[in-house]
Amino acid sequence: MGIDHTKCDITGMVERHIMIAVDSSDNAKRAVLFVGDFFGCYEGFQVTLLHIILEPEATFFSNEDERQKWLAEKLSDAEKVMEQYRHILVDAGFPENKVNVRIDTMRAPSVADCIIKEQEEMKCCTIVIGRRGISKKEEFIFGSTSNRIIHEAKKCAVLVIE
Amino acid sequence: MFLQSICDTTKDMETQAANNNESSYSFTQLQGMIASYLGTKNVPQRFKIITDTSDFFRVDYNDVVILAGVPYLMRNYTREGRFGLDDEPKYWVRKAIDLKNQEAKIIKLVFHEEIDARVGDMVFKCVRSPAKEAAILEMVAGHRNFMQGIAIRDAAGNIVRILDFIQGKRFDELIHKLALDHEEFFYEHLPDYLAIYIEMVKAIGFLHEQGQKHGDIRRDHILLDRNTGDYRWIDFDYDYYHDANMFGYDLFGLGNILVFLVGGGDLTVQQLQAADSPVLNKISQEDMNIIFNNRVANIQKIYPYVPDALNYVLLHFSNGANLYYDNTRQLIEDLAEVQIKA
Repeated sequence: MGIDHTKCDITGMVERHIMIAVDSSDNAKRAVLFVGDFFGCYEGFQVTLLHIILEPEATFFSNEDERQKWLAEKLSDAEKVMEQYRHILVDAGFPENKVNVRIDTMRAPSVADCIIKEQEEMKCCTIVIGRRGISKKEEFIFGSTSNRIIHEAKKCAVLVIE
Repeated sequence: MFLQSICDTTKDMETQAANNNESSYSFTQLQGMIASYLGTKNVPQRFKIITDTSDFFRVDYNDVVILAGVPYLMRNYTREGRFGLDDEPKYWVRKAIDLKNQEAKIIKLVFHEEIDARVGDMVFKCVRSPAKEAAILEMVAGHRNFMQGIAIRDAAGNIVRILDFIQGKRFDELIHKLALDHEEFFYEHLPDYLAIYIEMVKAIGFLHEQGQKHGDIRRDHILLDRNTGDYRWIDFDYDYYHDANMFGYDLFGLGNILVFLVGGGDLTVQQLQAADSPVLNKISQEDMNIIFNNRVANIQKIYPYVPDALNYVLLHFSNGANLYYDNTRQLIEDLAEVQIKA
């Protein structure tokens, strides 16, 4: 129902592709641990760890040097945490060549929009994401990535890890 | 495209900065220009001629700031205040006169400020970005719903914004004045003001479509331009980074204005208590504004003639909401369903 079965064949003829949308937060780590724990012992899965760096407009920074510094720091933090997450998955039983790491710097109104765009391009059958556990007020003002994905993602399953 | 546009703007401003350095007026020439505006008796005998505005506290009343070859006579600084608090002086925002054509301007000098923005009990980091306001000024040139102006780099490279002075009242002042009798306001005036509100929401949508946000949407940041009859958004130099939804704070501001508009002002628990209103018994926590918990968002409970379709929109900004507007399009679609009939 709505899932792209050409890529998610339950007979195992086609590899199932799971996307874990992460950042450097504890809830992202919980999502990675969940996937490792739940799927690591099975064959036929490919996992993409996706870290989106949402780039602000150039005018957010007082100058170009500040923008470059901001991007470099975000990229460095992302690379560090992605290496940890990759280890978690490999240790849980995923073959090294089945764990993809992807860090994308993008411009969009929200991280969720970028995650959905990537899911559509990669045709992953499942998005896994951790929930921050924010209040209604915080969701109202700052937005909620997991809620937006639940509402907007199509042709895939969404697992939200508490 | 937009990035290219910013780059072009930066190059243009660099050229302007170079030209700025070349521009020079003698003290006597400037005195003559000031005399044409103020009259010969009122020409100051001493004033500074400034091309580098880095230290805005150095820019005094009667000084002349030269930007891109145009001399501006500095007048008073502006103030900003609301909610009964004393007006706060904004020393970096000055009234000024363009001495070439004698037009009134607002000149915003560069003030890099990082602010802890407080919304209810939440706090987030906000910055003042002259470059953002400059980019938006270029984006909205000729748009009837935004303040108009240009951005120029001074001799030191500061991005100074030169804005057309808007003569006219604030949106909230207009509503307060009209809404003394709510029912009369509701049927006689609200339909027109809702149409204006929708126009203003569309203007914000125009920014969002191009990746920019207003950043400080408040009811006193809409002015009625008396000369053109247009309502205009002002002050868009605030910027922040909310990666789960860059536009959520703008939507919050739009919601607050709508609740204020439909209520003909803020409707607070304190007001209801003071009036010993029987409505108090019917109001629950879910009916209150999601952020400002003393303001009623479910206005139909106070004024039962508020139609369901309009109250449905208001409830998106209440504690009881389970869904919020993600973008201006959703808000406009729901408002299009609203009909007010006596």
